[in-house]
Amino acid sequence: MADPVLFALTWRVTRRRLLGSPPAIAAALAFPAFVVWLGLTDSYGTAAKFFFFLLPHVFLISAQDAVRSDIESGALESVLFLGGRFRGFLGLKGLALAAGAGAYAVVLFALFAAWGLAAGGFEPAFGLRFALALLAGFYYIALAGALSYVLRAGSNVLVLLLVQAAAVGALIFSTTARTGLLDHAATGEFPGWGPRLLFGALAAVLPNVVVSGRLPAFAAEVLAGLGLAVLVQSRLARRLELLS
Amino acid sequence: MIEVHKLTKRFGRVEALRGVSFKTKRGAITAMLGENGAGKTTTLKLVLGFLRPDSGTVAVAPGRVGYVPDRPAHFAGLDGWTILTLARPRRDRGASGNGRGFGALVLASSRSLLFDPALLRRRPASYSAGNAKKFAYLQNLILEPDLLVVDEPFSALDPPSIRAVRNILCGLREAGKTVLVSSHMLAEMERIADGFVVLKKGETVAHAGLREWRLLRTARRGPDLESVFLRLTGAEGPGPG
Repeated sequence: MADPVLFALTWRVTRRRLLGSPPAIAAALAFPAFVVWLGLTDSYGTAAKFFFFLLPHVFLISAQDAVRSDIESGALESVLFLGGRFRGFLGLKGLALAAGAGAYAVVLFALFAAWGLAAGGFEPAFGLRFALALLAGFYYIALAGALSYVLRAGSNVLVLLLVQAAAVGALIFSTTARTGLLDHAATGEFPGWGPRLLFGALAAVLPNVVVSGRLPAFAAEVLAGLGLAVLVQSRLARRLELLS
Repeated sequence: MIEVHKLTKRFGRVEALRGVSFKTKRGAITAMLGENGAGKTTTLKLVLGFLRPDSGTVAVAPGRVGYVPDRPAHFAGLDGWTILTLARPRRDRGASGNGRGFGALVLASSRSLLFDPALLRRRPASYSAGNAKKFAYLQNLILEPDLLVVDEPFSALDPPSIRAVRNILCGLREAGKTVLVSSHMLAEMERIADGFVVLKKGETVAHAGLREWRLLRTARRGPDLESVFLRLTGAEGPGPG
């Protein structure tokens, strides 16, 4: 049964933590500023490409402080979390993060769409791309949340960023070949299982690649990954004990 | 109110509890005593659900449970008042819940704890250790618990605050509430407790009502609780002279 008191507590703690986090605030301000700059110096279309591709990373940055710091701070050993309620709190935290980052994304998308409608560059397909960007963002929150059961604050996101950097490096290398992964992704057609599996692995660490809307199979993979990460988190929370 | 039966708990290679059993009575203060590492805090955490036992059972009678940890910690971003409102009983949140009743309860509880309510505007992380402890009591008192579990009830408190907390614990007992405390302050425990449980190396070595051992002490012209404790735990050392 839903516990409104626990959700209120989770929401307030998460909101305060996000508003008090310099990296989250910096990301939340820098991202729209960068998109506006692109739109003004290049075109609305270019701004749209980067808007949808980079939006999931705002979710990722917001998930840097998900679980481990709360466990280690001792704050969970409180009258508020007796009888195992701390597990419910940690479970709801991902939901609160997703709600906060999702609300921010909806506001940005509304402004971006209004700009596009005024400038005449808005396309109906942007709705689908926004939904896919939200999916990738939720996946990041779930994945970073699962990682934060074992990694300290911030290092869960750092590990993902490092893996992404390595993957992007490999991707750039692959494009030097005439039929690189990037070419396949652009057309949405992969010759055989090898490149398909390779791109699947890339989508698992960099789900932003699905926001183009041309890769429904990989979007389904991200959705499955989201479900799996939520399941792993719930298992980890169920086994968790406060040892400190 | 609490019934603990043959609890065991292992942390890796360390066997923290090797069969702890005891019962507490409703409307009584039970003191849990033991040397450092005897398993007192582990037992409390098992009773409160922060840990899971490897074997054995914990049964707690239905009702509101409160907990004051030895060193209370709170979420960094929230001020004292916000934390209190999050712990606010649901009956104060209804249509008539204008906060006046809740505010009065907070003020009365603050007064009884010698806690300055002005501190509630600040974050508990900025409180002194003593005020953080009193804030943890305040957080519990506004919940009006039927069972209050306290780890080191007097740690970090000054003498007036110790007296205030002692009065509060005794007041809870008078009101029919149950209190389980873990402490090293044997003189204080002798003063307020109605029964005691002594743990040694993760096992219960004694479990008795205070009345029982007081009778024993009178009959034998025996020692105080400290001497009994030292004898039970085998920690008797050379005397001062």
